[in-house]
Amino acid sequence: MTRVDIKRDLDALNKQIAAANRALFKSAGLYVINLMGSPGSGKTTLLENILPRLQDHVRTAVIEGDLATENDALRIRKTGVTALQINTNGGCHLDARMIENQLSRLDLAALDLLIIENVGNLVCPASFDLGEDLRMVLLSVPEGADKPVKYPTAFLNAQAVAITKTDLLPYLNVDLDEMKRYMAEINPKLVVFETALKGGVYEAERLVAYILEQVRQKKGK
Amino acid sequence: MHETALMQNLIATVLQVAEKHNAARVNRVVLSVGKLANVLPEALSFAFEALTQDGIMKGAELEIKHLPAVARCDSCGHEYQVDEWPLSCPACQSRSFVITGGEEVYLESIDCVEKSVHGEGSEG
Repeated sequence: MTRVDIKRDLDALNKQIAAANRALFKSAGLYVINLMGSPGSGKTTLLENILPRLQDHVRTAVIEGDLATENDALRIRKTGVTALQINTNGGCHLDARMIENQLSRLDLAALDLLIIENVGNLVCPASFDLGEDLRMVLLSVPEGADKPVKYPTAFLNAQAVAITKTDLLPYLNVDLDEMKRYMAEINPKLVVFETALKGGVYEAERLVAYILEQVRQKKGK
Repeated sequence: MHETALMQNLIATVLQVAEKHNAARVNRVVLSVGKLANVLPEALSFAFEALTQDGIMKGAELEIKHLPAVARCDSCGHEYQVDEWPLSCPACQSRSFVITGGEEVYLESIDCVEKSVHGEGSEG
């Protein structure tokens, strides 16, 4: 019997493709956001509402990831923003190769911002670098305050969090301060935003300003 | 949740290595999994068993080694093992850190039986 030492990182290929994606985004001066969160946390709703405000200032495109259907891409296209749909056919996350395969369909030099909406899942997407600049997790109020400690890796690997559906706070037994405390326990560096739908208006001004500033900073480099 | 895909990738790698080493059989595969890798060892073992029902890996054993999560302090550079949240540096109590280990999934080694010089699989 022979022992063969291999010591091979099973994620090496994804890391390598993610690095190539990142280099491509850098040379195009394109800022890329990887948006992740549970199914129903409000990822597509957030995009539908902030895209028209972003599009006023920066040229934006969206890549949508879902197990099946083109529903989300159709919703995004209604805002006038280009949207590509990836169907993972049961796959629980997007990987760097899936993104690489879409890039030839976009004119990267004619864009400032690319937002990738990951498959709805608070677990697996956190383990796959896509080449993004910013990882943003969405956590909706109804999901409960302690999700950050129950699903730590999603929050550990993110730089920003948007707490969505804060307009539902009066109807739920969820403490927003407790939710933020749990987030800070896992990752004290997280930048935290809140969004709400009030009187038919989607409130996300700080988040929109933050994204525009990040895009501007990358362009300036 | 993606343990089966991970295992398919692992087995493809094992088979490549086994072929290169002229193996008739693979008896054991050693894998190391970090605490923050988001994969469930039980699901990995189940997928391994399901995917090694025949061929040169039939009946092979899977050993999973667990790697701890490791953080490096942003303030003093000290590296420490992550056991529970919230983290604070045991050396300087700073709460600012970067994770430097615990997300990895590594194929460590395989034990294989080489084909005999007569070209038939040896039962070694």
